[in-house]
Amino acid sequence: MEQEPDIKQRKIIHIDMDAFYASVEQRDNADLRGKPIVVGGSPEGRGGVVATASYEARKFGIRSAMPSKRALQLCPHVLFVRPRFAAYKEVSQCIREIFSRYTDLIEPLSLDEAYLDVSEDKQNIGSAIEIARRIKQAIKDELNLTASAGVSINKFVAKIASDLNKPDGLTFISPAQIEQFMEELPVEKFFGVGQVTAAKMKNMGLHTGADLKRLTEQELTHRFGKVGGFYYKIVRGIDNRQVQPHRETKSMGAEDTFPYDLTTIDEMSAELQKIAGNLANSLLRHQLKGRTITLKVKYSDFKQITRSLSFASPVADHETLFDTAVDLLVKSDITDKKVRLLGISMSNFGEHKPVVMKGNSVQLELFP
Amino acid sequence: MRFIVTSNALLKNLQQISGVISSNTVLSVLEDFLFELSGTTLTLTATDLETMMRVQMEVSDAEGSGRICIPSKILTEYLKNLPEQPINFNINENDLSIEMSSDIGKYRITGERADDFPKEPAPSDTSAFTMPSISLLESINKTLFAVSSDTLRPAMTGVYFEMEPNSITFVSTDAHRLVQFRRNDVNCPAKDGFVVPKKPLQQLRATLPPDASSLQLAYNSSHLFVTGEKFSLSCRLIDARFPDYKAVIPSENPYNLTINRADFISALRRVSIFANKTTNQVVLDINGNAVQISAQDIDFSYEGKEMLSCQYNGEDMKIAFNAKLMIELINNLEGTEVLLELSTPTRAGIFKPVDTVENEQLLTLLMPLMVGV
Repeated sequence: MEQEPDIKQRKIIHIDMDAFYASVEQRDNADLRGKPIVVGGSPEGRGGVVATASYEARKFGIRSAMPSKRALQLCPHVLFVRPRFAAYKEVSQCIREIFSRYTDLIEPLSLDEAYLDVSEDKQNIGSAIEIARRIKQAIKDELNLTASAGVSINKFVAKIASDLNKPDGLTFISPAQIEQFMEELPVEKFFGVGQVTAAKMKNMGLHTGADLKRLTEQELTHRFGKVGGFYYKIVRGIDNRQVQPHRETKSMGAEDTFPYDLTTIDEMSAELQKIAGNLANSLLRHQLKGRTITLKVKYSDFKQITRSLSFASPVADHETLFDTAVDLLVKSDITDKKVRLLGISMSNFGEHKPVVMKGNSVQLELFP
Repeated sequence: MRFIVTSNALLKNLQQISGVISSNTVLSVLEDFLFELSGTTLTLTATDLETMMRVQMEVSDAEGSGRICIPSKILTEYLKNLPEQPINFNINENDLSIEMSSDIGKYRITGERADDFPKEPAPSDTSAFTMPSISLLESINKTLFAVSSDTLRPAMTGVYFEMEPNSITFVSTDAHRLVQFRRNDVNCPAKDGFVVPKKPLQQLRATLPPDASSLQLAYNSSHLFVTGEKFSLSCRLIDARFPDYKAVIPSENPYNLTINRADFISALRRVSIFANKTTNQVVLDINGNAVQISAQDIDFSYEGKEMLSCQYNGEDMKIAFNAKLMIELINNLEGTEVLLELSTPTRAGIFKPVDTVENEQLLTLLMPLMVGV
């Protein structure tokens, strides 16, 4: 299938900083260079998770979102560094300033990752590869950090491309290569395909993009729901999502589908503990705190319920997320129910000036 | 090496440092005490990698010298269950065997190699000053309770030590309240500041003798080293900038309310029982020379009210606070009367003791609750 005619061919760059937090720490502190380091929570107590591991630490199998304790087991001499978000934010702003020399169509995904639409660049360079090369060079020269770039005609392919040659990579997937590239892509690399969906796909004999391509849009939608339609397009290299500057995060969540149904509160709280940890980690990465926590429960009969609770002041920590989710779970009467999915999400962000309802009150902050 | 030590003396010394050991650590050597014998002096050390603390004690009949790591749990457990008596330690550094014999029996455990114990950070490029033990102890007592537990704002999870040539100021805040405690009897080397995490301060609070013995505080860009007569502690500093707290201290709160501290706390304790449990909101309705303290929980139809007399020089005002935070704050002040300096119901209230202590200056702030109308 060809590109949809009303969409002009775009030039999209996805820039992803290499082990961003860890690289900033190693850049700013000579003692950390060349050593396995982890930026994130300390391994003591519960809830400490790896935000970023340096490439030296990744050799030991340490990955983002892994409990810090596990990281210490994998590599006992790994150094834990507390995150300095103010510093990362500052660097991130410098990076965005570099992007803005070439385009204003910048969609930051987090402090260390962004999509750029350079279909029309400010300096009339014309070549997206050249722009990506210059951005990488500027990041190296001015900030002494490395980034990996993916260049293609849509967001999906650009993002996958940036991940292909990390660190310090630049990968271009030309329109002519896209189809073959997508056909060879393992299903787990597809956007939104988690472990469970991947396992499900493999059970059905679907291992690569090519396998997915053999299914009709109807079959895909039937098997995977709404997202099936997205797979249908994406596997043909079609992703018309625009690069959206100033995208505001309205909610953030983490969820997990289980390979077998959960029936006891103990099993469920063990899973919620992990999910809360993942969500707390993402919130920390994005420097977000919210006032509303929502629990999502899907039963084995696919019936789904959500329950939420709002707080007077914004929260983001693992413990509150977990405690609240368990509270909501207990209140939602799960006796004799089989649960196949649990999720926690956070919304109601950044309300520094909360609207105070009659009869309610809000604790005012000294440092808003 | 071998030595004899009385069980209670050893236990007392170990308990001073055992708080440093983290309850769930992955490296087994972090669950150990490091024993170092040199002459007749036994040095005991504990660490969690962030904080390291050591104490020294004298032992008798010492033979040889050396170092070994001894598992903390089993050792303290044993000492706690032993009636006071001398224990004979016989340690073989080669096979790491530790034999403890007393009048009652003989016990054997295996230790770990001392070389595996984390090294203490080197106190390089430090600046130093001294202050009496009791002064630091009091400063910690006055500030530690208001430290934040919000890991998103790491700077606020510790106490800020702000040094001036002729004073040192300790500041803590959790964004809702703030404590500033200044001592004018300490000479610091320079205008400088650092943030000390909660854990080493809790450790110091448990260890510092409440006397005038001198402490040395030395610091560099990453660590603080506190040395007393019988102990030393080093800890990593929080690598984050403390918020500009001076900017949030109101320069002028024109309305002064003076009230008996004990009466005020008792009334707040009683009334807050009837408050909403999530907000703990109590309303101070100040009218002339009386203040009405009230709370309610609409969900349960609970209500409480009390009237107290006070001295007040401002306009009538209704202001709401979180009773729990306010009680902690007023408890922390000393003296028979407390002074509240207020301006408007949505601005920070200043809480101070009326009686001042020489060379000390205590100021605390509490943000009100904004009430919907």
